[in-house]
Amino acid sequence: MLELSINGEAHHADVTADVPLLWVLRDVLGMTGTKFGCGIAQCGACTVHLDGQPVRACQLPVGLVGARKITTVEGVGATPAGAAVQKAWLDLDVIQCGYCQSGQIMSAAALIASTPAPSDADIDAAMAGNICRCGTYVRIREGIKKAAAEHHA
Amino acid sequence: MAIRTRTVALLLGAAVVIGGGAVAGRMLFLPGPLDFAGGTRVALADYKGPSPIGVPAKLAHASLIEKGRYLTDAADCRACHTAKGGTPFAGGRPFKLPFGTLYTPNITPDKATGIGNWTDAQFLRAVHQGISADGTRLYPALPYASYALMPDADVLAIKAYLFSLQPVRQANLPNSFTFPYNQRWLMGFWGYFFNKDKRFEPIAERSPEWNRGAYLVEGPAHCGECHTPRTLAQAMNTRQKFAGGAAEGWNAYNITGDRTTGIGAWSKPEIEAYLATGHANGRSVASGPMREAVDLSFSKLTKGDIAAIATYLQTIPPIHSARLGAPAAFAAASHAQGPADNPIGKRVFEQACVSCHAWSGKGALVADAQLTAKKAVSDPTAANVALMVLQGTGPQTAGRPYMPGFARSYSDTEIAAVANYVTARFGTMPSKIAPRDVAKLRAE
Repeated sequence: MLELSINGEAHHADVTADVPLLWVLRDVLGMTGTKFGCGIAQCGACTVHLDGQPVRACQLPVGLVGARKITTVEGVGATPAGAAVQKAWLDLDVIQCGYCQSGQIMSAAALIASTPAPSDADIDAAMAGNICRCGTYVRIREGIKKAAAEHHA
Repeated sequence: MAIRTRTVALLLGAAVVIGGGAVAGRMLFLPGPLDFAGGTRVALADYKGPSPIGVPAKLAHASLIEKGRYLTDAADCRACHTAKGGTPFAGGRPFKLPFGTLYTPNITPDKATGIGNWTDAQFLRAVHQGISADGTRLYPALPYASYALMPDADVLAIKAYLFSLQPVRQANLPNSFTFPYNQRWLMGFWGYFFNKDKRFEPIAERSPEWNRGAYLVEGPAHCGECHTPRTLAQAMNTRQKFAGGAAEGWNAYNITGDRTTGIGAWSKPEIEAYLATGHANGRSVASGPMREAVDLSFSKLTKGDIAAIATYLQTIPPIHSARLGAPAAFAAASHAQGPADNPIGKRVFEQACVSCHAWSGKGALVADAQLTAKKAVSDPTAANVALMVLQGTGPQTAGRPYMPGFARSYSDTEIAAVANYVTARFGTMPSKIAPRDVAKLRAE
């Protein structure tokens, strides 16, 4: 039985150590906010935070999480950066179909938590691995700048 | 005056003959695989201690076929004698050599297209001397110069295992060698000089574990066939033993005791982990042909045999590779620091690589994904980096993280750029691989 700290709560999962964290979140714990996209860490839809760092849950064996604190899209609104991103996303209607957006929000929240005024290059470096088939990239970029300004105001 | 000229000419001629003879001699007469170790060679029968040949103790009472299966794995017959997606041991795998393309033959016991009619003597002659059942010479792509170290009993156990397999009717494909390389009889000369056709003899002063490792490394596992550079005559240049060679476009790196460019800084458990699992933390991940060697061969060997191989490898004299950089420290955690002159490379890296490898090169998810300190990132040819980007790497079994291949996602220009970005950011000898080089590797 593995113990995981997710969004500030302890969860238990009876899984082997090599199961990807994403499967544990979605299939074992029923937390389906985090999405399955490609399964090979190439699209970013499964992004969660480990101690505030964005990671791709589809390629992370759950046994490697250890005592690190997991934050998912269900819990990121409780962090100041996450709340700022969610507000900016609503203000600017960033989302189109929405499938990639939990991953976009997680990567964006981690970026503005660590970078007060992200430049375009900072946004490219942090967000290029999050793919959006609807092409909402322009609004995502705008949303990040707005959220960063409000978060660090 | 005339006499003087003649004397000078004679002297010059003699110098040319002696010099040429010395060069030819150096090329034709190479040290044996264990010459570096010194000590007293003894016949197997006279060696005191557990036998260094055959199968490990736990298989001592196994059937001949079971013993043969273990030795077939140790000799990694399957890797070459299986086409991509084909039936194991039915052959057909292409090898692109400087002289043309060669296809491995069917070694299942089919009587028409395989080796089902071969006698023990014919099988031994093929494995030890590179002569096929019908008397034609085999190219040393079959590593008989290494397999010659295997005693008859081990070779015949392999034959027993192969003959226990389901026969597969699959005709051999002709190779595409042109004159003079299609003259198989010439291989007789090659064999005369470069295959001593001598069975393994242990060294009395060395431990049983070392001798077992020596047997496995030099005989069945045939490590030197890829890791030792070749002479002009395509023989293993044993003066540069294990200093690094090539296989199918990949560089097979230095595995001598050199601390910066070899494996001299690796601990014994690190060498063992690498061979048994394909990954030594912070050291290396097996890719390409070495990944196959791990999956099909080393991962099937007993812990004792893996330990023996490591023990032996740790005694290989260090040779420094001038064309390989020392490991670098971790790169900066921020994208903003690092190579600034390669925007295409950086763009590809941030799109496709950083999620797993991290800007620092430490690896963002699993330890296997560390780029820092890997030999491939300090290799100024960037061949292995480009091939990993093209083909992917890692254990592609369900549920385990692996690197996908990007051959169909990125152009030659993009792959060359990201390979150069990776060597510049994470290594100590930046590469300048060009799109046309990537195009060649794509065809491997």
